[in-house]
Amino acid sequence: MTTLEKLKKYLEKIKEKDKDLNIFLEVRPESELIDEAKRIDEKIKDGKAGRLAGYVIGVKPNINVVGFHASCSSKVLEDYKSTYDATVIKKIKEEDGLIIGMVNSDEFACGSSGETSAYGPVKNPVNPELIPGGSSSGSAACIAAGFCDMALGSDTGGSIRNPASHCGVVGIKPTYASVSRHGLIDLSMSFDQIGPIAKNVHDATLLLDVIRGKDENDSISLESGKLNLKELGKKKKFKIGILDFKIQDERIQKLIDEKVKEISKKYGWNVKKVRIEYIDTAIETYYPIVYTEFFSATRKFDGRKYGKKIEDSCGPEVLRRVLGGAEITRSEHEGRNYYLALRVRKLIEEEYARAFKEMDIIISPTVPRLPHKIGEKITIEEMYSYDALTIPSNLAGNCSMSVPVGKVDGIPVGMQIMADKFQEQKMLEVGALVEGFGERR
Amino acid sequence: MGFLYKKLSEKDKEEIKKEAKRIMDSFGKKLSKIKELPKEGSIKRENSIREEGPGKDGSPDFKKRILENAPNKNKDFIIAEKKGWE
Repeated sequence: MTTLEKLKKYLEKIKEKDKDLNIFLEVRPESELIDEAKRIDEKIKDGKAGRLAGYVIGVKPNINVVGFHASCSSKVLEDYKSTYDATVIKKIKEEDGLIIGMVNSDEFACGSSGETSAYGPVKNPVNPELIPGGSSSGSAACIAAGFCDMALGSDTGGSIRNPASHCGVVGIKPTYASVSRHGLIDLSMSFDQIGPIAKNVHDATLLLDVIRGKDENDSISLESGKLNLKELGKKKKFKIGILDFKIQDERIQKLIDEKVKEISKKYGWNVKKVRIEYIDTAIETYYPIVYTEFFSATRKFDGRKYGKKIEDSCGPEVLRRVLGGAEITRSEHEGRNYYLALRVRKLIEEEYARAFKEMDIIISPTVPRLPHKIGEKITIEEMYSYDALTIPSNLAGNCSMSVPVGKVDGIPVGMQIMADKFQEQKMLEVGALVEGFGERR
Repeated sequence: MGFLYKKLSEKDKEEIKKEAKRIMDSFGKKLSKIKELPKEGSIKRENSIREEGPGKDGSPDFKKRILENAPNKNKDFIIAEKKGWE
């Protein structure tokens, strides 16, 4: 199928179904898309096309793409048009990826359900009554709905892996500092990473390989080497740790355990339980850091250079975090609480480093519970518990991914595969093996 | 921090303060169970100073695009209100 044929198929589907699903905030003008698709097809014909030629890509609206609105799904930035391309976008364009438009998300990436957008909640394509997960709700849903091939999301505490799990697609949180954050509108600078969401491990790996690497515009970014797609699925034997952590919904853990048993029987995995000391402090350590960094990050939204003043125009979840961050910052003595939280974070990081000396991979469910119905009232504690198993990876700074492995009550469930920092190749090789055992959508 | 609370009721302000306190209290509770903390949290890197090469030419319409986003502007400048934060 040519890029143009594929694009037309996607545009038709978006026109037909997106009124109900509310995934896209902005689709590029059709004539522009068709012209670019034709240009890409010409390059393919001439053998001069980049590695993403033929792939149609959606983008989370906290990533700058020239000519599009980087609204962060907020009224604060509804009129803000990006003035430059984020580094990841520049790389995608250099490899001839076709950016189709900006997808919906939780407002300023604050949320785990996809319900906090100023433009209304995204519906889960698997079951439109349910949340798709968040905050990269539209990025996962656009893949599950068959609106594009790949999408970019951002992950601060699980915002790629959580919706990937609920929507039954593959999502990757790269190692912190392996993908440039230049052009990402930050939620929490010391956690945020941009990452790919796709239909399968191969496509997610390809997009990750394109966007990762050192960037002089992001001073903390590091070189991370090339990924080898040809090796995916070749190596079979790994030392696997199953995370010792009690979750609310035992049916989810049972599904994960059964899959691991099945795969290890076939490939001879060496499996044992692994305990991470202080993992039960992860949520409590994460939120003081996120609130403090988010409060700091939002001081630029004063309505002078662009957009509106954030406190005047944002929704309740964002306001809660801005004002909560102000309180936490104010109650501190010379940044003491923030500093202490960073030290606990270091402790958790060291615990994971210790575990990865023994194990190649640590496996757990991605999300400890099934998604709730859109609009259903749940407590803040319940909402924050969605990320109980994903937050530790952001605290430790290592890489992790969610791969669909089956369903509970007809709802997709993802397996979280976590590896040590910059061990994406190993993680993806295991991901490719696991994928073969999952229920394909 | 008073400027942030312009549009909230006293009840809302109290609720947000209480919630921030709850976050810090639960953090404090967990913290008290940790025997020893490492000294600092940091990212290890070989070189924290980037190499400066020759400057890059910016996009010629960058200024135009920046000004298009400003709520108040004249030909060359963004106009900010005086003491608007008070």
